[in-house]
Amino acid sequence: MSSVKKIQWLRRLLRHVLVLVGLALLGAFLAATLVRYSPGYGVDERELDPRLSPTSVEAIRKQHRLDSNLFRYYGEYLSAAAQGDFGTSQSLQRPVFELVKERFPVTAHSVLFGVVTAWTMAFALAVIGLLFCGWIFEVSSTLLSGLLLALPSAVIALLFVHLRAPVFLAIAMVTFPKLFRFIRNLLAHAYDQPHVLAARARGIGPVRIFLCHVIPLAAPALVALVGVSISIAFGAAVPIEALCDSAGIGQLAWTAALNRDLPLVMNLTVIVTLITVACNSVAGYSAKAIARET
Amino acid sequence: MSAKRRLRLIAVCVLSAISVLAVGAGIVTPYPYALQFRDLPNAAPTTMHPLGTDALGRDLLSRLLYGTRVSLLLAPAAALLSTLIAGVLGGAAGLLGGWYERFILAVTDLSMALPLLFVLIALRAMLPLDVAPLASVVATFLLLGLLGWPSSLRVVWAAARSIRNSDFLLLARASGCGRMRMILRQVLPNLRAVLLAQFWVSIPVFILTEATLSMLGVGVMEPMPSWGNLLRGLEDFSAVSANPWRIAPLLVLILVVICFQFILPSQEDLA
Repeated sequence: MSSVKKIQWLRRLLRHVLVLVGLALLGAFLAATLVRYSPGYGVDERELDPRLSPTSVEAIRKQHRLDSNLFRYYGEYLSAAAQGDFGTSQSLQRPVFELVKERFPVTAHSVLFGVVTAWTMAFALAVIGLLFCGWIFEVSSTLLSGLLLALPSAVIALLFVHLRAPVFLAIAMVTFPKLFRFIRNLLAHAYDQPHVLAARARGIGPVRIFLCHVIPLAAPALVALVGVSISIAFGAAVPIEALCDSAGIGQLAWTAALNRDLPLVMNLTVIVTLITVACNSVAGYSAKAIARET
Repeated sequence: MSAKRRLRLIAVCVLSAISVLAVGAGIVTPYPYALQFRDLPNAAPTTMHPLGTDALGRDLLSRLLYGTRVSLLLAPAAALLSTLIAGVLGGAAGLLGGWYERFILAVTDLSMALPLLFVLIALRAMLPLDVAPLASVVATFLLLGLLGWPSSLRVVWAAARSIRNSDFLLLARASGCGRMRMILRQVLPNLRAVLLAQFWVSIPVFILTEATLSMLGVGVMEPMPSWGNLLRGLEDFSAVSANPWRIAPLLVLILVVICFQFILPSQEDLA
């Protein structure tokens, strides 16, 4: 790689990192503002505890009065977040960072395996439908994806609870139909290009046409789709983990929402947003790089 | 008539029939949705209760019809709101261009990267959970409408951008056509098909999202019925195996969403 190209590459990378940092700041600001102005903010049920002395109750009230200034609140929130302190969960009385550290691997495992399974199924069905099978296969795969699209993700989760199947399979079933439609349309569009038609007319085999002509054309969009599929999978993780009783981030967000544990739910949203935006940025960046190469 | 058109016609007929039944729920079924028959919990279908009753002894048919009314009336309303937002912002971004376009697209890309359910749950958690059932319905669908626009905006923006560079708009501008007149007479008629398609696409998405939210207990609150609330009955699998008619809400939901998939305008219709 020449030095000019290296500098251009570094600039683009720096721009992406700056966008992510900006998003993190914006997300933190929005989260802090929403928590600060939500109904019930500043009301502490500990004040009703008869075991607490008037001095303790006054100390709690004083703490809330200190938090009433938005800019002070935001400043403290941001400086604490920079040190990895995302506050304490009101309902679980544990640091948010600790909870996320504990539960993130569970969700990451389910999402990763779910996305890989969904991609394998969607890609395999789209390719088989495109290259080898007739309309019966096409109609049945469309019906399957259409039926899965018509089911709420919570119902799919319930079905997998009853089947005692792993959580990642439920995530895969929610992600698969959306991916399948995109992948099939992308491949079909690439397959209909004039140069592919010319290759077919010359008698080149379907596998070679697919690998040498169709895949390079569809690759940038397919890579960009990886980022989108991670977003879809994280979204699906909430109902699936909640209903399948899987101790991940999704279940944590759900219990936090039911308990109106706003610091926890807002921090989780900001963290998940950063992860999905980072994945989308990497996928988008890779897609552009592939498009330039091809 | 082609098979596609025939399927679409059937889907429209089915949807119309379900909508009529839902709107006329008060006439079709004699019971209010919250009325309890305490001596008849989990009753099997009878002539009095054609779909039986739920665990609290409420008539399942009444709840299904009133729930269908809630979902079928408010999902299009939320879709209308999100399409309006997408139309205004996407149209402006496509037509104006420059920094305005970049800013709107950056916000849209960010919104598209967010897992919608996480954001919905976070925002719903900000509201008190013990709100009145009617307020919970309005809050749920309002949030859906306010947050569901990003993917539609991308499509509207692409269409508006192609119009910006079109010859007829250049001609209109050259002949001194005013901005408002140009938007109303030249741009909007050309965006109509795209906006209509986005409206239809959003409806099943919102129906399914409401169902998931309500199943998780952060959507429409009891005793107000919605498809999501009714689907919570499926959580007790042994009760569903003993009373298979409890699956009726799921079947109606699947039927409605599939009908919406069939009536979506095709590429040829949009062209």
